[in-house]
Amino acid sequence: MPLIETDGLTKRYPGVTALDALDVSVEPGVVGLVGANGAGKSTLIKILLGLLPASAGRARVLDRDVAAEGAAIRQFTGYMPEHDCLPPDLSATEFVAHLARVSGLPRAAARERTAETLRHVGLFEERYREMGGYSTGMKQRVKLAQALVHDPRLVFLDEPTNGLDPAGREEMLDLVRRTGREFGIAILMASHLLGEIERVCDSLVVIDGGRLVRAGAIAEFTTGLGSLEVEVDGEADALAERLRGLGFEARGEGAIARVALNGAEPYDAIRDAIVALDMGLVRLEQRRQSLEDLFRADAEEEAAAP
Amino acid sequence: MTEPRAGAIYDLGYRRYGGARLGRGHAIVSLYVHGLRSAFGLGRRTRAKIFPIGLIIFAIIPAFLQVAFGALTSEDIEVFRAEDYYGYINLALAVFAAVAAPELLGRDQRHRTLPLYFSRAFSRHDYALARLAAMVTAMFALTLLPQALLFVGNALAVDDFGGYFRDEWRQVGPIVASGVLVSAFFAATAMALAATVQRSMYAIISILGLFIVLSFALAPLLVNFVDNLAGRLGVFLSPFAVVDGFTRWLFGVEPGELAATADFAGGSYFLWALALSVLGCAFVVRRYGRKSL
Repeated sequence: MPLIETDGLTKRYPGVTALDALDVSVEPGVVGLVGANGAGKSTLIKILLGLLPASAGRARVLDRDVAAEGAAIRQFTGYMPEHDCLPPDLSATEFVAHLARVSGLPRAAARERTAETLRHVGLFEERYREMGGYSTGMKQRVKLAQALVHDPRLVFLDEPTNGLDPAGREEMLDLVRRTGREFGIAILMASHLLGEIERVCDSLVVIDGGRLVRAGAIAEFTTGLGSLEVEVDGEADALAERLRGLGFEARGEGAIARVALNGAEPYDAIRDAIVALDMGLVRLEQRRQSLEDLFRADAEEEAAAP
Repeated sequence: MTEPRAGAIYDLGYRRYGGARLGRGHAIVSLYVHGLRSAFGLGRRTRAKIFPIGLIIFAIIPAFLQVAFGALTSEDIEVFRAEDYYGYINLALAVFAAVAAPELLGRDQRHRTLPLYFSRAFSRHDYALARLAAMVTAMFALTLLPQALLFVGNALAVDDFGGYFRDEWRQVGPIVASGVLVSAFFAATAMALAATVQRSMYAIISILGLFIVLSFALAPLLVNFVDNLAGRLGVFLSPFAVVDGFTRWLFGVEPGELAATADFAGGSYFLWALALSVLGCAFVVRRYGRKSL
């Protein structure tokens, strides 16, 4: 059973089409939703949660229709919005416990789950203080906690690392990964940063201009890819030409040559070629093809196509 | 599993929840109770409690004075009567409504908490209804509470408690009916305005301003100085005159000054207040049903 399924899902605003007949099927797991700002990520999440009505098309979440069974879906989903949503004059404990009760948890269970969930996201003594004095990192943790407090089967995270410093970003991603992997909660995480998605998610949905670009497992996107970056103190072009002559896929630009690693073992050949050309080797680095490279290549191809 | 980190002894990890999920009804009740508490500033810092509690005390003072007066003197003098009561405290009612309504609706908009509510297992209409119900109930503290104090106090002040109750039990119906309608009327009109005006300061000013300008300026001007039907209809613009009108009608006593000049049947105030209350609530529910997030 797919986690999320959309069929011709369309959302039109006056003058803008945010989602354009989107057909996508998402399997359970930790799923990344990638797109530039304005690609329709937040709109898609809001429609799936029933916060926005679709202009056309249908969507199913947890095998229920979004338009007809919104409340039933929302009993088992959590939502962490992109924007600030915490009243500054309440403590995290009060606020999360209140939302737990609104999610249907009995009073005692709500209190217990609140303590557990806040501890899970790493808020300890601070949780009794008013949230107005929290750092961005602590606020993001509370936002995540309120999305998890009723133990949903699926959580929607909209740009969870927004506004965090590198260390906070790291911790948040780790938290998201643990939530998905260790606790078996399905996650749809929207981000415009491919690097984050790559580190946390098993699969990926790429949208652009409200349309589906690609969807699939992360591994499908990156297998068979990767390259060596060779920096020399001479003309890398000459090195690349020599390597091409030996049957490798290589390209030189300035002082850096890129050699493809499609199962090939070019290390000895590179060493020999550099020696033969009487160059010095400055740096030899293996670069795993990242998703960013992939999409950059895609974009270049697209731009080149008539 | 990765090896335990330092301090992992505290990390019990995430546990699944297998307990009861009480669903929509529980969600609405939780929101209602939360709204009721926040109308009085409960669960918040002291500053938030001063205004509502102060207004409740203000609204109770006449009842308290009457009871104290009755207890100290043996004479049976009623200075503050149930049917006049809202005439003395209508400003307190208006201020309370003007402060509490933006508190109940505006906070969730200002802090953008609405998406967190609307992504939970109830509908937007449920949210609006829970907030409205909380507002009406909160108003009871300024309407039914002093009336109850007045009634019980008067009963205790006379020597014959049972006799007082036997003589006056007919008052209970009008007391409850007027108290509920006064609460609903103030709540619905204030909530409709609070739902329209986002910033709470502006909402407070517009609610209070409207109550005062309509009651003390526009309606008296129209009724007293425009000598035709249109002028007399102006009495319906005054929230305070309408409240006074249906309260006196419910108690079966003579209309107040403005209502007497306007000279409409007492029941028309009742129907008008009822209609405005229903319309105000419907407006809030509809607005929240369509709100874009």
